[in-house]
Amino acid sequence: MTLKLSLQARGWQLMLPLALAFLAFFVAPLMILFVVSGFEDDKITQVGLKTWVSFVSDPFYWVVTGNTLKLGVLTVLATLLIGYPLAVVYMRASPNVQKILILIIIMPMLLSVVVRTFAWIVILGREGVINQTLLSLGLTSTPLRLLQTELGLIISLTQIELPLMVLPLISVMSQIDPSVHDASSALGASRWRTFFKVTVPLSLPGLIAGCTLVFASSTTAFISQSVIGGNRLVYLPLVVWQQSLVVYNWPLASVAAVTLLVSVMGCIILLNLVGRKSMRYLNV
Amino acid sequence: MSSQISRRHFLQSTAAIAGAIAYPNLAFAKGSVSSAIYPGAWDEAYRKIVAPALKKSAGVDLELQPLFAVDQIAKAKAARGRPVFDTFVLDPGPSATGKADNLFEKFDANQLKNASALQAGLVDAFGVPIAAQFVGIAYNPKKFSKPPTKWADLFQEPYLSRLGLTGFQTTFGTVAIIEFSKAFGGSITNVDPFFAELKKVLKKVAVIGAPAAMPGLFQQGQCDVMYTNTQTVGILKSRGVDIEFVAPESGIATFFTTMHIAKGSEDIANAYKYIDTVLSAEVQTQLMKPPYFMAPVNSKVALDDSLPVKNLSEMSKMIQHDWSKINPLRAEWITRFNKEVS
Repeated sequence: MTLKLSLQARGWQLMLPLALAFLAFFVAPLMILFVVSGFEDDKITQVGLKTWVSFVSDPFYWVVTGNTLKLGVLTVLATLLIGYPLAVVYMRASPNVQKILILIIIMPMLLSVVVRTFAWIVILGREGVINQTLLSLGLTSTPLRLLQTELGLIISLTQIELPLMVLPLISVMSQIDPSVHDASSALGASRWRTFFKVTVPLSLPGLIAGCTLVFASSTTAFISQSVIGGNRLVYLPLVVWQQSLVVYNWPLASVAAVTLLVSVMGCIILLNLVGRKSMRYLNV
Repeated sequence: MSSQISRRHFLQSTAAIAGAIAYPNLAFAKGSVSSAIYPGAWDEAYRKIVAPALKKSAGVDLELQPLFAVDQIAKAKAARGRPVFDTFVLDPGPSATGKADNLFEKFDANQLKNASALQAGLVDAFGVPIAAQFVGIAYNPKKFSKPPTKWADLFQEPYLSRLGLTGFQTTFGTVAIIEFSKAFGGSITNVDPFFAELKKVLKKVAVIGAPAAMPGLFQQGQCDVMYTNTQTVGILKSRGVDIEFVAPESGIATFFTTMHIAKGSEDIANAYKYIDTVLSAEVQTQLMKPPYFMAPVNSKVALDDSLPVKNLSEMSKMIQHDWSKINPLRAEWITRFNKEVS
């Protein structure tokens, strides 16, 4: 009892190393980012809101911000469409099949993001696997343009981000008591009714976690966006990179970075609020 | 076998570590130098050729940090006088930025034995050229019956729908677009004609890609004509890619890749030894050969047939650009390119 109290009393001391590291390597750089965004010149000498005003008043940056968030939403929908059924199949599969499925699901995470992205160039290219298949089947007479299109980027991001959707879903679904499904069936509900009234509501926490992870990851996926999307598709991470590392306009880069951070966080908060309200509504 | 450390082993190890700390020169021969280097072929070539040559000639170890030119400048600016490497390797744009931001030590060419082998006027107060670059048009000879001969040809069929474009992020991209602009009536400070023509043909352009991705996109057949340098053409060709370099009628654009010593470097003497090794005729000859294709600057090197010049003095007749005029406009051009192509 005394030992337990002593450990509880010293809890803050045990947290201290992590808290200090968090302050030094996360909070402090974030503060610097906000401070630098409050300068007007690339030499970071004049304080003012000119950079913010020029960013906010330029319709181009509104379009870029909108496109970045749109990319996140579309990737979430695509991963959800493939990931949810996959998670359901996983839960109903035998242990041996589950082992194979989990290997397939986590496979994209075992490869470097650069390798994965360049592999998609080979797949989506004019002479890539998809176009060669379509041409040989006679479904198209000329190669389709898949690279440097939003569709191509979403296809590749869906594969890259799929584990972030499926793993939280599997984690939550595996905690659902199987007897609730049996109870639903025993009370006369069809399989679809059981699925929509029992499985989906109980898996909502995993669904929200998956959507959050995929959204945050896809909106900031600089390598995939720039290599597969090319320069025709401009997203906020590209603007941050160009302004910070090519033209060295760090205030504008900071403004773009803060915009990305705030807009993505805003969407995530909104997603979580909707998720919690839904859970409350469904009495989960 | 016992996994325990005996007292004798412990004392031997402790003595070795203490000795290494007390007499670092014994442990590290004649010291080391840390240099930034472009990723890819440059990094590979410098590890295989320059590092052993430097070790052999000066007993100095070479540590390489693969970084693009813009990343080197960004790191040096962020380091604020405490450089994370001793030497830069840069193209003219980032080099001009480095000079303006006082990121380089004053350069003393008298420290280099090989400085006399360079063309007159190439060494300045901040650095020295270590390789030449030649920018022109690259095309796939199997896809076109005749090669493009002018920059303006690239905006005409059959080249247009197979064209790969890149923006102002890189030196070769910037100089190529300036040459494009000149072909349509522009100048080094006026790229409006390029944008006006681009607007008319934008939808037909095959690829508008990130500079680093362009060789891969060409290799994959995503585009069959692009602007690039002779080194990229040589590397792709050596990998079996169908690619040829063509000098535009208006002339090849050329620039030098330069080395600079970082302001605040603690290994300045070794940095000079390193740069001197890079400039030596033996090393420059090896770097020029496949698979690296780096155009030399040492006039004692017999030039390879793959280069578009027979003699380095011909470079003075090629198109060179004043980056002090380009740099102030580049940020605006990059933003404009984003807006026009997206």
